[in-house]
Amino acid sequence: MARDYDHLFKLLIIGDSGVGKSSLLLRFADNTFSGSYITTIGVDFKIKTVSLDGQKVKLQIWDTAGQERFRTITSTYYRGTHGVIVVYDVTNGESFANVKRWLHEIEQNCDVVNRVLVGNKNDTPDRKVVLTEDAQRFADTMNIQLFETSAKDNINVEEMFMAITRLVLRSKQEMKERQNITQNDTVNLRKSNKQGKKKCC
Amino acid sequence: MLVVYQDVVNIVQSKFSSTEVVKCIHLNVSPVNESWNEVHRILALVECNSSYALFVFITKKPKPSSISDLSVETAIPIDSNFSCDTEPIDNCQSHIIFIVSFRNRKLQFKIEIGVESSNFASEVIWSKEVSSSNKLDFNWLGKYTCATLDQNSKKMSEMSDQCSDIPVLRHQLAHGQAASNRESILRYQLKLKEPEYTQHQEFSIFVGTWNVNGQPPSVSLRPWLSCDEEPPDVYAIGFQEIDLSKEAFLFNDTPREAEWLKYVMDGVHFKAKYKSVAVTRLVGMQLVVLVNSKHYQFVKNVSVDTVGTGLLGKMGNKGGVAVRLELHNTSLCFVNCHLAAHVEEFERRNQDYKDINARINFRKQPPSIKDHEHVYWLGDLNYRITDLNTNQVKTLLARSEMITLLKADQLNQQKERGSVLLDYTEGDITFQPTYKYDLNSDHFDTSEKARPPAWTDRILWRGDGIYQLAYRSHMDIRISDHKPVSALFRSEISVIDQSKFRRVHEDLLKKMDKLENEFLPQVMVDQTEVTFDLVKFREPQSREIIIANTGQVPAEFEFIKKLDEATFCKDWLRITPFCGTIDPGEKCDIKFEVNLERELDKVYDILVLHLKGGKDMFIIVNGDCQKSCFTSSMATLCRAQVPLLQMTEEQRKQAENMESRVLYSIPRELWLLVDHLYRHGLKTRDLFESCALSDELIRIRDWLDYGSLDPIPGSVQATAEAFLLFLSFTKDPVVPFEIHDACIAAANNYQNCRLIIQQKMTDIHRNVFLYICMFLQEMLRHSNDNGYDAKTLASLFGDILLRDPIRNSKPQANRGKANFVYNFLVNDLSSSLIPNK
Repeated sequence: MARDYDHLFKLLIIGDSGVGKSSLLLRFADNTFSGSYITTIGVDFKIKTVSLDGQKVKLQIWDTAGQERFRTITSTYYRGTHGVIVVYDVTNGESFANVKRWLHEIEQNCDVVNRVLVGNKNDTPDRKVVLTEDAQRFADTMNIQLFETSAKDNINVEEMFMAITRLVLRSKQEMKERQNITQNDTVNLRKSNKQGKKKCC
Repeated sequence: MLVVYQDVVNIVQSKFSSTEVVKCIHLNVSPVNESWNEVHRILALVECNSSYALFVFITKKPKPSSISDLSVETAIPIDSNFSCDTEPIDNCQSHIIFIVSFRNRKLQFKIEIGVESSNFASEVIWSKEVSSSNKLDFNWLGKYTCATLDQNSKKMSEMSDQCSDIPVLRHQLAHGQAASNRESILRYQLKLKEPEYTQHQEFSIFVGTWNVNGQPPSVSLRPWLSCDEEPPDVYAIGFQEIDLSKEAFLFNDTPREAEWLKYVMDGVHFKAKYKSVAVTRLVGMQLVVLVNSKHYQFVKNVSVDTVGTGLLGKMGNKGGVAVRLELHNTSLCFVNCHLAAHVEEFERRNQDYKDINARINFRKQPPSIKDHEHVYWLGDLNYRITDLNTNQVKTLLARSEMITLLKADQLNQQKERGSVLLDYTEGDITFQPTYKYDLNSDHFDTSEKARPPAWTDRILWRGDGIYQLAYRSHMDIRISDHKPVSALFRSEISVIDQSKFRRVHEDLLKKMDKLENEFLPQVMVDQTEVTFDLVKFREPQSREIIIANTGQVPAEFEFIKKLDEATFCKDWLRITPFCGTIDPGEKCDIKFEVNLERELDKVYDILVLHLKGGKDMFIIVNGDCQKSCFTSSMATLCRAQVPLLQMTEEQRKQAENMESRVLYSIPRELWLLVDHLYRHGLKTRDLFESCALSDELIRIRDWLDYGSLDPIPGSVQATAEAFLLFLSFTKDPVVPFEIHDACIAAANNYQNCRLIIQQKMTDIHRNVFLYICMFLQEMLRHSNDNGYDAKTLASLFGDILLRDPIRNSKPQANRGKANFVYNFLVNDLSSSLIPNK
């Protein structure tokens, strides 16, 4: 009746320094926001359990340092990740320009992984420099879902995290189905069960 | 508050003296070790004067009912040698292994995951925690370890009351455990919060019992089962003596089971459809539980068990059969029994009742009858009317003096005395005794025996929110010598409101997430970037950072390797301590010490400070380095027209890239050192053995690197050491690595040795090599004063001139290298000198 969780997923938040990665996590996990900026020097995580289609999904969400000088180290934390959240700052064009590099980083370090693109700080229209249309066009060409969020005003944050969770859940179920088909085709393939437990990355 | 089997706690407590208090027990423990027999164990945590011990009891029954069922197997003192842990079992969700280690023994127990186990484990871990600080005296254990059992006065143990918010989790997390059994905590918390998401819904429950006296079904059961206006939601119908044949008794096999079931299904209320939940039978006792089919989907965890208490105390001619189920969120149990016969056997009947209670085990949670929220006890209990003969009974009945009769009823008497069905309620009896009738009549027994009439067939209940609406007999069913009895109940069943449940569940998850996040190890460092002053060759400097535990749990920290790196920091850095544990609110100073022994433009590294079970932090270490002749290559030094630190950047780059002209046949710095030794040190005893002050060496280093008109600073011994250091740290060894093997192979033959240095070495390296050898030959001319012989010098310099690529990898002298150098110390070198200018 009351299981702790049905799935455990590891999510990773990446993107340039100062785009609001930690704020997004803080908003989602603790529903709080702090205006003062403390740069993340390292990798930290929080736990959050969500319900999705009647299933309990426990998320372990990793927040990484965005500074360039840590990039080689942070890339080692991509291992075992089920979903990656790529964040830019809609008031900072350079952070958007760098999204390509971050997507490349994912390709380099993960085999198959679900991604979403997030334009954060979408709360002050005057300061917005990355237009929704441009971001959307880019997202479409990269085949990635776009969310414009504000951790400060709590806009779209929950939706974004639920969307990436849904993507991960769906690809897990698809993989399971594929495996069932393979299992039915081949007789007594006992080992295939074990492979099924492998993570996306 | 968790009171787990308080009655068993009391029994266990009676094994101990009054100063020894049973804090907590765990039932149904099975040892994993093969050498242990397959007997039940009970674990008990016992405290005496602040020292704790874990006792392992062997018990004859899963749940001991008296002190004689228990014997001590082991008593383990909980001291610094004690530790315990849990481990999951592959492919098993329901049980885990509980591991107890002490001194050199290790015991493993299989226990069921649940509130009981998490509570017990917490208590044990907690006791270990408090034990570590105290001075402990385990003398009291002596009497148990040598099997003389002291049975002293009982004392109830008081379990600690933990009513706070999610106590178990806090407790565990506070001890640094991961929230591995969140699931059982969640289950427990959901149980506590049940009133928030459940509401009572009334269900009508029809309970019937009939001793059919071995008769096959032949009349409709409608008058009995369908006597009420509205159809009940649940039927529980118990029969006794459905088959009195020998076959039924011996083989527990009878066609009557199906026949009676069919008659029941035909006899139930026509206004509703019913589905069978369970049918169970032991010999002649049969219990059928049906629910209105609209409720069927809300019935879960159905289980049955039967107990024989007849012949030999175990045959099925007497005993009980039981069905348990959960209807929505309420656990129900129906017990149909047939207890011992004959007027005088009331004590036997009491015992049968106790045996049924003790032995029914549904192998589900909860396993025994009494732990169900609603229990209905029905059957031919066989209690009679005492002290009145048949005529008296009949007369009283005729006068409707029921009170007098019911006072003489054994069940009422025994119940009053607390000997049977203690917590059960029975409705008022307003019907005629249901036994014994002449077949097919409403006349009491007219046979010769003329047994006095009795209310043998009864229905009782236990639990909150149960209201009896009717309690009656059914006179018009006449095929047996008993009349059927029925009772109709209105029972409050707790029904889960799914949307409320979801909200409570999610709230709990949120709370547990919050706790889990709160209890992750948290530390702060006072700086994440450590910058050293100009880093100079062999001039160590250190910086300190402070790690403060700002979290709520002890933080285990460790500097860890980055992917693809062999060590957690570079060879120029030393971190002390590189791992440790910081208690909440405490701090730890970490010292970073840099010591440069090779040529680097700057020192730079990102260190990963890992918290066990938590985050990683990055700490950047950096500093600029100063060049030194000690770590330069000899080719560079031979191209340097001025001391290294007087060169312009460009001059140095050119020299390093070997783009500028070679100006000297050997490095100027080497010449300065050797020349000084030649002038002042040839006669110094044990010249190379003394240890110079690092300060002196630093002054010599700067004298060489900056250049000076002053004489070389420090003692001649310091110069000798600087000379050895110079040869030990230059970027390239005097004899290149790749020809070491050839040198060692040629060591027996001077001519071959000469050929190697002539053909395989660059001019600069050969010049340096021969120059040093000539100096050493000069030293040997003064052996009497300095005490060196050729062998000693050869072995000292063999290792330095033919240096290994990895420093200090093999500190022992290499005889081959020494032999090679020896050749050049004892032979005339003039023929080897090929001037390069």
